[in-house]
Amino acid sequence: MDPFFYLIIAAGVIAGASCGLLGAYIVGLRLPFVGIFISHTAMAGTVFSYLLGLNPVVGAVAISALAAMSLAAIRPGRTRIDPNVAMAILFSLVLGLTFLGIGLIQGTRTEILGLLWGSILFVRGSHVVVIAVAAATFVLFVALFNKELKALLFSRGVASATGVHETFVYALFLALCGVILAVNLPLIGGLMIFSLITNPAAAAYQICRGHRAVLVVSTAFGVLSTVGGFLVSYWADLPTGACIVLASTLLFALSAGYRAFSGRTD
Amino acid sequence: MIDGSLTLSDICVRSSGRTLLQIDHLHVPAGDFVGIVGTNGAGKTTLLKVAAGLIRPDGGQVTLDGSDLTRLSGWRKCELRKHIGYIPQSAEYNAELPFTVREVVAMGRTSVRPLLTRLNTDDYGIIDRWIDALGLADRRNQTFRSLSGGEQQKVLIARAMAQDPRILMLDEPCASLDFHWKYEISEIVERLHRQTRMTVLMVSHDTGVLPSTCRRVVLLAEGRLLGDGDVDAILTPEKLRQAYHGDLVAATVGGRRHILAAPSGGGSPTNREM
Repeated sequence: MDPFFYLIIAAGVIAGASCGLLGAYIVGLRLPFVGIFISHTAMAGTVFSYLLGLNPVVGAVAISALAAMSLAAIRPGRTRIDPNVAMAILFSLVLGLTFLGIGLIQGTRTEILGLLWGSILFVRGSHVVVIAVAAATFVLFVALFNKELKALLFSRGVASATGVHETFVYALFLALCGVILAVNLPLIGGLMIFSLITNPAAAAYQICRGHRAVLVVSTAFGVLSTVGGFLVSYWADLPTGACIVLASTLLFALSAGYRAFSGRTD
Repeated sequence: MIDGSLTLSDICVRSSGRTLLQIDHLHVPAGDFVGIVGTNGAGKTTLLKVAAGLIRPDGGQVTLDGSDLTRLSGWRKCELRKHIGYIPQSAEYNAELPFTVREVVAMGRTSVRPLLTRLNTDDYGIIDRWIDALGLADRRNQTFRSLSGGEQQKVLIARAMAQDPRILMLDEPCASLDFHWKYEISEIVERLHRQTRMTVLMVSHDTGVLPSTCRRVVLLAEGRLLGDGDVDAILTPEKLRQAYHGDLVAATVGGRRHILAAPSGGGSPTNREM
Protein backbone atom coordinates (compact mmCIF):
# COMPACT_ATOMS: atom_id res chain seq x y z
CA MET A 1 0.00 0.00 0.00
CA ASP A 2 1.52 3.33 -0.93
CA PRO A 3 1.93 6.14 1.64
CA PHE A 4 -0.66 8.22 -0.18
CA PHE A 5 -3.30 5.71 0.85
CA TYR A 6 -2.46 6.35 4.51
CA LEU A 7 -2.58 10.11 3.99
CA ILE A 8 -6.13 9.76 2.65
CA ILE A 9 -7.06 7.57 5.62
CA ALA A 10 -5.60 10.17 8.01
CA ALA A 11 -7.53 12.95 6.28
CA GLY A 12 -10.69 10.85 6.41
CA VAL A 13 -10.30 10.13 10.13
CA ILE A 14 -9.75 13.80 11.00
CA ALA A 15 -12.49 15.14 8.70
CA GLY A 16 -14.96 12.50 9.87
CA ALA A 17 -14.17 13.05 13.55
CA SER A 18 -14.45 16.83 13.38
CA CYS A 19 -17.66 16.75 11.32
CA GLY A 20 -19.14 14.11 13.64
CA LEU A 21 -18.33 16.06 16.80
CA LEU A 22 -19.46 19.38 15.32
CA GLY A 23 -22.65 17.70 14.10
CA ALA A 24 -23.55 16.61 17.64
CA TYR A 25 -23.86 20.32 18.50
CA ILE A 26 -25.44 21.45 15.22
CA VAL A 27 -28.12 18.75 15.39
CA GLY A 28 -28.60 19.17 19.16
CA LEU A 29 -29.03 22.93 18.82
CA ARG A 30 -31.50 22.29 15.98
CA LEU A 31 -29.37 24.22 13.54
CA PRO A 32 -29.19 22.04 10.42
CA PHE A 33 -29.82 25.07 8.21
CA VAL A 34 -26.97 26.89 9.89
CA GLY A 35 -24.71 24.02 8.88
CA ILE A 36 -25.83 24.12 5.29
CA PHE A 37 -25.64 27.92 5.19
CA ILE A 38 -22.14 28.12 6.64
CA SER A 39 -20.73 25.38 4.42
CA HIS A 40 -22.03 27.17 1.33
CA THR A 41 -20.69 30.49 2.60
CA ALA A 42 -17.33 28.76 2.83
CA MET A 43 -17.79 27.66 -0.76
CA ALA A 44 -18.56 31.22 -1.90
CA GLY A 45 -15.54 32.40 0.13
CA THR A 46 -13.28 29.89 -1.62
CA VAL A 47 -14.53 30.80 -5.09
CA PHE A 48 -14.09 34.52 -4.55
CA SER A 49 -10.67 34.25 -2.94
CA TYR A 50 -9.65 32.16 -5.96
CA LEU A 51 -10.97 34.92 -8.24
CA LEU A 52 -9.12 37.61 -6.28
CA GLY A 53 -5.94 35.58 -6.17
CA LEU A 54 -6.00 35.09 -2.38
CA ASN A 55 -5.31 31.89 -0.48
CA PRO A 56 -8.64 30.01 -0.84
CA VAL A 57 -8.49 28.33 2.58
CA VAL A 58 -7.80 31.59 4.43
CA GLY A 59 -10.55 33.38 2.46
CA ALA A 60 -13.08 30.64 3.14
CA VAL A 61 -12.24 30.46 6.84
CA ALA A 62 -12.48 34.21 7.30
CA ILE A 63 -15.75 34.62 5.39
CA SER A 64 -17.54 31.68 6.93
CA ALA A 65 -16.40 32.48 10.48
CA LEU A 66 -17.68 36.04 10.03
CA ALA A 67 -20.97 34.89 8.51
CA ALA A 68 -21.42 32.33 11.27
CA MET A 69 -20.78 34.83 14.04
CA SER A 70 -23.24 37.30 12.55
CA LEU A 71 -25.89 34.61 13.06
CA ALA A 72 -25.41 34.97 16.81
CA ALA A 73 -27.09 38.35 16.44
CA ILE A 74 -30.38 36.66 15.53
CA ARG A 75 -32.21 36.52 18.85
CA PRO A 76 -34.83 33.81 19.17
CA GLY A 77 -38.27 35.27 19.84
CA ARG A 78 -37.42 38.79 18.72
CA THR A 79 -37.27 38.32 14.97
CA ARG A 80 -40.38 38.56 12.85
CA ILE A 81 -39.17 35.93 10.45
CA ASP A 82 -38.66 32.29 11.30
CA PRO A 83 -34.89 31.71 11.69
CA ASN A 84 -35.04 28.68 9.41
CA VAL A 85 -36.76 30.68 6.68
CA ALA A 86 -34.20 33.48 7.09
CA MET A 87 -31.46 30.88 6.79
CA ALA A 88 -32.98 29.40 3.62
CA ILE A 89 -33.05 32.86 2.04
CA LEU A 90 -29.44 33.57 3.06
CA PHE A 91 -28.53 30.12 1.75
CA SER A 92 -29.93 30.90 -1.70
CA LEU A 93 -28.01 34.17 -1.64
CA VAL A 94 -24.64 32.50 -1.02
CA LEU A 95 -25.43 29.72 -3.49
CA GLY A 96 -26.18 32.36 -6.13
CA LEU A 97 -22.92 34.13 -5.31
CA THR A 98 -21.00 30.84 -5.53
CA PHE A 99 -22.30 30.07 -9.00
CA LEU A 100 -21.79 33.65 -10.10
CA GLY A 101 -18.17 33.35 -8.95
CA ILE A 102 -17.73 30.03 -10.76
CA GLY A 103 -19.12 31.62 -13.90
CA LEU A 104 -16.60 34.47 -13.66
CA ILE A 105 -13.61 32.14 -13.47
CA GLN A 106 -11.62 32.14 -16.72
CA GLY A 107 -10.13 28.99 -18.16
CA THR A 108 -10.25 25.62 -16.44
CA ARG A 109 -12.69 25.23 -13.60
CA THR A 110 -11.82 21.68 -12.57
CA GLU A 111 -10.23 22.70 -9.29
CA ILE A 112 -13.08 24.91 -8.22
CA LEU A 113 -15.79 22.47 -9.31
CA GLY A 114 -14.05 19.93 -7.10
CA LEU A 115 -15.36 22.01 -4.20
CA LEU A 116 -18.85 20.76 -4.92
CA TRP A 117 -18.08 17.10 -4.42
CA GLY A 118 -14.73 17.20 -2.68
CA SER A 119 -11.37 15.74 -3.60
CA ILE A 120 -10.22 13.66 -0.66
CA LEU A 121 -8.28 11.47 -3.13
CA PHE A 122 -6.00 14.38 -4.03
CA VAL A 123 -5.38 15.60 -0.48
CA ARG A 124 -2.03 17.20 0.30
CA GLY A 125 -0.08 16.65 3.51
CA SER A 126 -0.20 20.36 4.33
CA HIS A 127 -3.98 20.32 4.18
CA VAL A 128 -4.14 17.38 6.58
CA VAL A 129 -2.17 19.52 9.03
CA VAL A 130 -4.65 22.37 8.59
CA ILE A 131 -7.71 20.23 9.30
CA ALA A 132 -5.89 18.60 12.24
CA VAL A 133 -5.20 21.99 13.81
CA ALA A 134 -8.82 23.08 13.28
CA ALA A 135 -10.08 19.81 14.79
CA ALA A 136 -7.77 20.15 17.80
CA THR A 137 -8.98 23.72 18.36
CA PHE A 138 -12.58 22.58 18.30
CA VAL A 139 -11.91 19.71 20.72
CA LEU A 140 -10.19 22.16 23.07
CA PHE A 141 -13.18 24.51 22.85
CA VAL A 142 -15.59 21.67 23.63
CA ALA A 143 -13.48 20.59 26.60
CA LEU A 144 -13.17 24.11 28.01
CA PHE A 145 -16.80 25.12 27.59
CA ASN A 146 -18.41 21.74 28.15
CA LYS A 147 -20.73 22.81 30.95
CA GLU A 148 -21.93 25.94 29.12
CA LEU A 149 -22.43 24.01 25.87
CA LYS A 150 -24.61 21.46 27.65
CA ALA A 151 -26.81 24.22 29.05
CA LEU A 152 -27.05 25.79 25.57
CA LEU A 153 -28.03 22.50 23.98
CA PHE A 154 -30.85 22.06 26.46
CA SER A 155 -32.17 25.60 26.12
CA ARG A 156 -30.47 28.81 25.03
CA GLY A 157 -33.29 30.79 26.61
CA VAL A 158 -32.97 29.23 30.06
CA ALA A 159 -29.17 29.41 29.86
CA SER A 160 -29.39 33.11 29.11
CA ALA A 161 -32.02 33.82 31.80
CA THR A 162 -29.99 32.06 34.48
CA GLY A 163 -26.71 33.85 33.86
CA VAL A 164 -24.81 31.38 31.66
CA HIS A 165 -22.50 33.23 29.23
CA GLU A 166 -24.75 32.17 26.39
CA THR A 167 -24.06 34.87 23.79
CA PHE A 168 -20.29 34.60 24.19
CA VAL A 169 -20.12 30.81 24.00
CA TYR A 170 -22.65 30.64 21.16
CA ALA A 171 -20.78 33.21 19.05
CA LEU A 172 -17.50 31.37 19.66
CA PHE A 173 -19.17 28.09 18.72
CA LEU A 174 -20.52 29.53 15.46
CA ALA A 175 -17.12 30.96 14.55
CA LEU A 176 -15.44 27.58 15.08
CA CYS A 177 -18.28 25.97 13.17
CA GLY A 178 -17.36 28.24 10.25
CA VAL A 179 -13.68 27.30 10.56
CA ILE A 180 -14.30 23.52 10.68
CA LEU A 181 -16.69 23.60 7.74
CA ALA A 182 -14.40 25.84 5.66
CA VAL A 183 -11.24 23.77 6.09
CA ASN A 184 -12.97 20.43 5.52
CA LEU A 185 -14.91 21.67 2.51
CA PRO A 186 -12.21 21.01 -0.11
CA LEU A 187 -11.99 17.38 1.03
CA ILE A 188 -15.64 16.48 1.52
CA GLY A 189 -17.27 18.95 -0.87
CA GLY A 190 -20.05 21.46 -0.34
CA LEU A 191 -22.77 19.07 -1.43
CA MET A 192 -21.72 16.29 0.92
CA ILE A 193 -20.33 17.90 4.05
CA PHE A 194 -23.90 18.52 5.16
CA SER A 195 -24.71 14.82 5.38
CA LEU A 196 -21.52 14.23 7.33
CA ILE A 197 -22.60 16.89 9.83
CA THR A 198 -26.16 15.64 10.18
CA ASN A 199 -26.24 11.85 9.83
CA PRO A 200 -23.66 10.64 12.38
CA ALA A 201 -25.03 13.02 15.02
CA ALA A 202 -28.67 12.17 14.32
CA ALA A 203 -27.73 8.48 14.56
CA ALA A 204 -25.98 9.04 17.90
CA TYR A 205 -28.98 10.90 19.33
CA GLN A 206 -31.11 7.86 18.47
CA ILE A 207 -29.17 5.32 20.47
CA CYS A 208 -27.26 7.12 23.23
CA ARG A 209 -27.99 7.86 26.83
CA GLY A 210 -26.12 10.82 28.28
CA HIS A 211 -24.28 13.69 26.64
CA ARG A 212 -20.79 12.20 26.73
CA ALA A 213 -22.00 9.08 24.92
CA VAL A 214 -23.52 11.25 22.18
CA LEU A 215 -20.23 13.06 21.62
CA VAL A 216 -18.19 9.85 21.49
CA VAL A 217 -20.61 7.91 19.27
CA SER A 218 -21.21 10.83 16.90
CA THR A 219 -17.46 11.33 16.45
CA ALA A 220 -16.94 7.60 15.91
CA PHE A 221 -19.78 7.43 13.38
CA GLY A 222 -18.23 10.38 11.51
CA VAL A 223 -14.93 8.47 11.26
CA LEU A 224 -16.71 5.28 10.29
CA SER A 225 -18.56 7.12 7.50
CA THR A 226 -15.48 8.70 5.92
CA VAL A 227 -13.07 5.80 6.33
CA GLY A 228 -15.69 3.13 5.61
CA GLY A 229 -16.98 5.06 2.60
CA PHE A 230 -13.47 5.55 1.27
CA LEU A 231 -12.49 1.90 1.67
CA VAL A 232 -15.66 0.70 -0.07
CA SER A 233 -15.09 3.13 -2.93
CA TYR A 234 -11.44 2.02 -3.14
CA TRP A 235 -12.17 -1.68 -3.35
CA ALA A 236 -15.38 -1.48 -5.41
CA ASP A 237 -14.07 1.35 -7.63
CA LEU A 238 -17.00 3.69 -6.90
CA PRO A 239 -17.13 7.50 -6.42
CA THR A 240 -15.66 8.29 -2.97
CA GLY A 241 -17.95 11.18 -1.99
CA ALA A 242 -21.07 9.19 -2.79
CA CYS A 243 -19.84 6.22 -0.75
CA ILE A 244 -19.11 8.46 2.26
CA VAL A 245 -22.58 10.00 2.15
CA LEU A 246 -24.26 6.63 1.73
CA ALA A 247 -22.21 5.14 4.59
CA SER A 248 -23.36 7.93 6.94
CA THR A 249 -26.97 7.45 5.84
CA LEU A 250 -26.67 3.71 6.43
CA LEU A 251 -25.39 4.36 9.96
CA PHE A 252 -28.41 6.53 10.65
CA ALA A 253 -30.80 3.91 9.27
CA LEU A 254 -29.18 1.19 11.40
CA SER A 255 -29.37 3.34 14.55
CA ALA A 256 -32.99 4.31 13.98
CA GLY A 257 -33.80 0.64 13.30
CA TYR A 258 -31.98 -0.44 16.44
CA ARG A 259 -33.93 2.05 18.54
CA ALA A 260 -37.26 1.04 17.01
CA PHE A 261 -36.80 -2.72 17.23
CA SER A 262 -34.79 -3.11 20.42
CA GLY A 263 -37.76 -1.78 22.36
CA ARG A 264 -35.23 0.02 24.48
CA THR A 265 -36.46 2.58 26.95
CA ASP A 266 -33.85 5.03 28.11
CA MET B 1 -25.67 37.34 47.26
CA ILE B 2 -28.54 39.55 46.16
CA ASP B 3 -31.79 40.02 48.08
CA GLY B 4 -34.14 39.20 45.20
CA SER B 5 -36.27 42.33 44.92
CA LEU B 6 -37.48 43.29 41.47
CA THR B 7 -38.92 46.51 40.06
CA LEU B 8 -40.31 47.10 36.59
CA SER B 9 -40.90 50.73 35.66
CA ASP B 10 -42.35 52.30 32.50
CA ILE B 11 -41.98 49.00 30.64
CA CYS B 12 -43.18 48.93 27.08
CA VAL B 13 -42.82 46.05 24.62
CA ARG B 14 -44.10 46.48 21.08
CA SER B 15 -44.13 44.20 18.08
CA SER B 16 -45.40 45.04 14.60
CA GLY B 17 -47.00 48.24 15.88
CA ARG B 18 -48.96 46.39 18.57
CA THR B 19 -48.30 46.94 22.26
CA LEU B 20 -47.64 43.57 23.89
CA LEU B 21 -46.90 44.90 27.35
CA GLN B 22 -47.29 48.27 29.03
CA ILE B 23 -46.50 48.45 32.73
CA ASP B 24 -45.99 51.72 34.57
CA HIS B 25 -44.80 50.34 37.86
CA LEU B 26 -44.53 46.92 39.43
CA HIS B 27 -42.48 46.28 42.53
CA VAL B 28 -41.87 42.84 44.00
CA PRO B 29 -40.16 42.96 47.41
CA ALA B 30 -37.63 40.26 48.26
CA GLY B 31 -39.23 37.03 49.43
CA ASP B 32 -42.70 37.71 48.00
CA PHE B 33 -44.73 35.10 46.14
CA VAL B 34 -46.50 36.77 43.23
CA GLY B 35 -48.92 35.05 40.87
CA ILE B 36 -49.15 36.52 37.38
CA VAL B 37 -52.57 35.67 35.97
CA GLY B 38 -54.67 36.45 32.90
CA THR B 39 -55.87 34.82 29.68
CA ASN B 40 -53.74 33.61 26.80
CA GLY B 41 -52.09 36.55 25.08
CA ALA B 42 -52.52 38.84 28.09
CA GLY B 43 -48.76 39.35 28.28
CA LYS B 44 -47.90 37.05 31.22
CA THR B 45 -44.97 35.28 29.56
CA THR B 46 -43.77 38.55 28.03
CA LEU B 47 -43.75 40.08 31.52
CA LEU B 48 -41.75 37.16 32.89
CA LYS B 49 -39.26 37.29 30.00
CA VAL B 50 -38.77 41.01 30.44
CA ALA B 51 -38.13 40.42 34.16
CA ALA B 52 -35.58 37.68 33.30
CA GLY B 53 -33.90 39.91 30.71
CA LEU B 54 -34.83 37.55 27.85
CA ILE B 55 -36.80 40.27 26.09
CA ARG B 56 -35.30 43.73 25.98
CA PRO B 57 -38.20 46.14 26.39
CA ASP B 58 -38.60 49.00 23.90
CA GLY B 59 -38.61 51.31 26.89
CA GLY B 60 -38.33 51.26 30.67
CA GLN B 61 -36.16 49.72 33.37
CA VAL B 62 -35.96 46.31 34.97
CA THR B 63 -34.26 46.73 38.31
CA LEU B 64 -33.02 43.57 39.99
CA ASP B 65 -31.47 44.20 43.37
CA GLY B 66 -30.80 47.85 42.52
CA SER B 67 -29.16 47.27 39.10
CA ASP B 68 -30.90 48.01 35.80
CA LEU B 69 -30.82 44.74 33.82
CA THR B 70 -31.54 46.51 30.53
CA ARG B 71 -28.41 48.63 30.77
CA LEU B 72 -25.82 46.20 32.08
CA SER B 73 -23.02 44.82 29.91
CA GLY B 74 -23.18 41.13 29.00
CA TRP B 75 -20.77 40.06 31.74
CA ARG B 76 -22.35 42.06 34.56
CA LYS B 77 -25.76 40.85 33.42
CA CYS B 78 -24.61 37.23 33.76
CA GLU B 79 -23.30 37.95 37.27
CA LEU B 80 -26.71 39.21 38.30
CA ARG B 81 -28.77 36.62 36.47
CA LYS B 82 -27.04 33.68 38.08
CA HIS B 83 -29.39 34.36 41.00
CA ILE B 84 -32.43 33.84 38.77
CA GLY B 85 -33.94 30.37 38.54
CA TYR B 86 -36.06 30.07 35.41
CA ILE B 87 -38.53 27.33 34.49
CA PRO B 88 -39.77 27.77 30.93
CA GLN B 89 -42.73 26.42 29.01
CA SER B 90 -42.00 23.12 27.33
CA ALA B 91 -41.65 24.64 23.85
CA GLU B 92 -38.54 26.45 25.04
CA TYR B 93 -36.33 23.53 25.87
CA ASN B 94 -35.03 20.63 23.89
CA ALA B 95 -36.72 17.69 25.60
CA GLU B 96 -35.71 15.14 22.94
CA LEU B 97 -31.98 15.21 23.65
CA PRO B 98 -30.76 12.16 25.59
CA PHE B 99 -29.55 14.12 28.63
CA THR B 100 -29.81 12.16 31.85
CA VAL B 101 -31.75 13.59 34.77
CA ARG B 102 -28.49 14.21 36.63
CA GLU B 103 -27.04 16.08 33.64
CA VAL B 104 -30.09 18.35 33.43
CA VAL B 105 -29.99 19.12 37.17
CA ALA B 106 -26.23 19.73 36.91
CA MET B 107 -26.92 22.51 34.38
CA GLY B 108 -28.22 24.50 37.34
CA ARG B 109 -24.63 24.78 38.62
CA THR B 110 -23.29 26.08 35.26
CA SER B 111 -23.60 29.79 35.94
CA VAL B 112 -22.61 29.43 39.59
CA ARG B 113 -19.14 28.29 38.50
CA PRO B 114 -16.95 30.61 36.38
CA LEU B 115 -16.12 30.00 32.72
CA LEU B 116 -13.32 27.48 32.03
CA THR B 117 -13.91 25.56 35.26
CA ARG B 118 -15.53 22.20 35.83
CA LEU B 119 -18.15 21.31 38.37
CA ASN B 120 -16.52 19.85 41.48
CA THR B 121 -17.61 17.30 44.07
CA ASP B 122 -19.36 20.00 46.12
CA ASP B 123 -21.47 20.83 43.07
CA TYR B 124 -22.37 17.19 42.54
CA GLY B 125 -23.25 16.94 46.24
CA ILE B 126 -25.73 19.79 45.81
CA ILE B 127 -27.04 18.30 42.56
CA ASP B 128 -27.66 14.90 44.15
CA ARG B 129 -29.25 16.49 47.20
CA TRP B 130 -31.84 18.26 45.04
CA ILE B 131 -32.46 15.12 43.00
CA ASP B 132 -33.22 13.29 46.26
CA ALA B 133 -35.24 16.19 47.70
CA LEU B 134 -37.60 16.09 44.73
CA GLY B 135 -37.99 12.32 44.91
CA LEU B 136 -36.11 11.64 41.69
CA ALA B 137 -33.43 9.36 43.17
CA ASP B 138 -34.46 6.32 41.12
CA ARG B 139 -34.62 8.43 37.97
CA ARG B 140 -31.10 9.85 38.35
CA ASN B 141 -29.50 8.05 35.40
CA GLN B 142 -32.58 7.80 33.22
CA THR B 143 -32.92 10.18 30.30
CA PHE B 144 -34.98 13.32 30.71
CA ARG B 145 -36.89 12.47 27.52
CA SER B 146 -38.16 9.18 28.97
CA LEU B 147 -39.93 10.87 31.91
CA SER B 148 -43.55 11.96 32.17
CA GLY B 149 -44.45 15.66 31.95
CA GLY B 150 -44.82 15.95 35.71
CA GLU B 151 -41.48 14.29 36.40
CA GLN B 152 -39.79 16.52 33.81
CA GLN B 153 -41.21 19.53 35.63
CA LYS B 154 -39.69 18.23 38.88
CA VAL B 155 -36.31 17.86 37.17
CA LEU B 156 -36.51 21.46 35.97
CA ILE B 157 -37.35 22.59 39.50
CA ALA B 158 -34.38 20.61 40.85
CA ARG B 159 -32.17 22.25 38.22
CA ALA B 160 -33.37 25.72 39.20
CA MET B 161 -32.87 24.97 42.92
CA ALA B 162 -29.37 23.57 42.40
CA GLN B 163 -28.52 27.09 41.31
CA ASP B 164 -29.49 28.36 44.78
CA PRO B 165 -31.57 31.17 43.27
CA ARG B 166 -32.79 34.27 45.10
CA ILE B 167 -35.62 34.69 42.64
CA LEU B 168 -37.51 31.86 40.95
CA MET B 169 -39.53 32.48 37.80
CA LEU B 170 -41.96 29.84 36.61
CA ASP B 171 -43.84 30.03 33.31
CA GLU B 172 -47.04 27.96 33.48
CA PRO B 173 -45.36 25.11 35.42
CA CYS B 174 -48.66 23.25 35.78
CA ALA B 175 -50.10 23.68 32.31
CA SER B 176 -50.61 20.42 30.40
CA LEU B 177 -50.21 18.37 33.58
CA ASP B 178 -53.00 16.19 34.89
CA PHE B 179 -54.97 16.96 38.04
CA HIS B 180 -52.72 15.05 40.42
CA TRP B 181 -49.45 16.52 39.09
CA LYS B 182 -50.78 20.08 38.97
CA TYR B 183 -51.21 20.14 42.72
CA GLU B 184 -48.06 18.19 43.45
CA ILE B 185 -45.95 20.70 41.49
CA SER B 186 -47.80 23.60 43.07
CA GLU B 187 -47.16 22.20 46.56
CA ILE B 188 -43.47 21.70 45.81
CA VAL B 189 -43.15 25.35 44.77
CA GLU B 190 -44.98 26.43 47.92
CA ARG B 191 -42.70 24.31 50.12
CA LEU B 192 -39.54 25.62 48.45
CA HIS B 193 -40.71 29.21 48.87
CA ARG B 194 -41.36 28.60 52.56
CA GLN B 195 -37.99 26.92 53.11
CA THR B 196 -35.78 29.35 51.21
CA ARG B 197 -37.72 32.65 51.40
CA MET B 198 -36.70 33.35 47.81
CA THR B 199 -38.81 35.63 45.63
CA VAL B 200 -41.21 33.67 43.40
CA LEU B 201 -42.93 34.87 40.25
CA MET B 202 -45.35 32.26 38.93
CA VAL B 203 -47.20 32.73 35.66
CA SER B 204 -50.45 30.78 35.42
CA HIS B 205 -53.67 31.23 33.50
CA ASP B 206 -55.28 28.94 36.09
CA THR B 207 -55.47 30.64 39.50
CA GLY B 208 -56.39 27.31 41.08
CA VAL B 209 -52.80 26.08 40.90
CA LEU B 210 -51.39 29.07 42.77
CA PRO B 211 -50.52 27.88 46.29
CA SER B 212 -52.49 29.31 49.19
CA THR B 213 -49.37 31.19 50.36
CA CYS B 214 -49.53 33.23 47.17
CA ARG B 215 -51.44 36.18 48.59
CA ARG B 216 -50.56 38.65 45.86
CA VAL B 217 -51.63 38.43 42.24
CA VAL B 218 -50.92 40.59 39.22
CA LEU B 219 -53.85 40.45 36.79
CA LEU B 220 -53.01 41.20 33.16
CA ALA B 221 -55.33 41.85 30.23
CA GLU B 222 -54.18 42.83 26.75
CA GLY B 223 -50.70 43.67 27.98
CA ARG B 224 -51.85 46.01 30.73
CA LEU B 225 -52.04 45.75 34.50
CA LEU B 226 -55.68 45.31 35.41
CA GLY B 227 -54.94 44.82 39.06
CA ASP B 228 -52.11 44.19 41.47
CA GLY B 229 -52.61 43.33 45.12
CA ASP B 230 -54.21 40.92 47.53
CA VAL B 231 -55.91 37.93 45.89
CA ASP B 232 -59.33 38.81 47.31
CA ALA B 233 -59.11 42.44 46.22
CA ILE B 234 -58.06 41.57 42.66
CA LEU B 235 -60.06 38.49 41.74
CA THR B 236 -63.40 40.30 41.85
CA PRO B 237 -66.25 39.51 39.45
CA GLU B 238 -65.84 42.87 37.68
CA LYS B 239 -62.11 42.50 37.09
CA LEU B 240 -62.48 38.85 36.07
CA ARG B 241 -65.15 39.79 33.54
CA GLN B 242 -62.73 42.31 32.06
CA ALA B 243 -59.73 39.97 32.04
CA TYR B 244 -61.31 36.64 31.17
CA HIS B 245 -64.33 37.84 29.16
CA GLY B 246 -67.16 36.10 30.94
CA ASP B 247 -69.32 36.12 34.05
CA LEU B 248 -66.92 34.66 36.55
CA VAL B 249 -66.33 34.62 40.28
CA ALA B 250 -63.39 33.50 42.37
CA ALA B 251 -64.13 31.01 45.11
CA THR B 252 -61.85 29.48 47.70
CA VAL B 253 -61.75 25.71 47.44
CA GLY B 254 -59.24 23.91 49.62
CA GLY B 255 -57.30 27.11 50.35
CA ARG B 256 -56.88 27.93 46.66
CA ARG B 257 -58.65 30.60 44.66
CA HIS B 258 -60.41 28.98 41.73
CA ILE B 259 -62.08 30.94 38.99
CA LEU B 260 -65.57 29.61 38.45
CA ALA B 261 -68.48 30.45 36.22
CA ALA B 262 -70.78 32.90 38.01
CA PRO B 263 -73.81 31.14 39.50
CA SER B 264 -76.93 32.02 37.59
CA GLY B 265 -80.09 31.96 39.68
CA GLY B 266 -78.76 30.23 42.76
CA GLY B 267 -77.27 27.11 41.13
CA SER B 268 -73.99 25.91 42.55
CA PRO B 269 -70.93 27.21 40.69
CA THR B 270 -69.31 24.78 38.30
CA ASN B 271 -65.58 24.61 38.12
CA ARG B 272 -64.52 25.90 34.76
CA GLU B 273 -61.01 24.88 33.80
CA MET B 274 -59.42 28.05 32.56
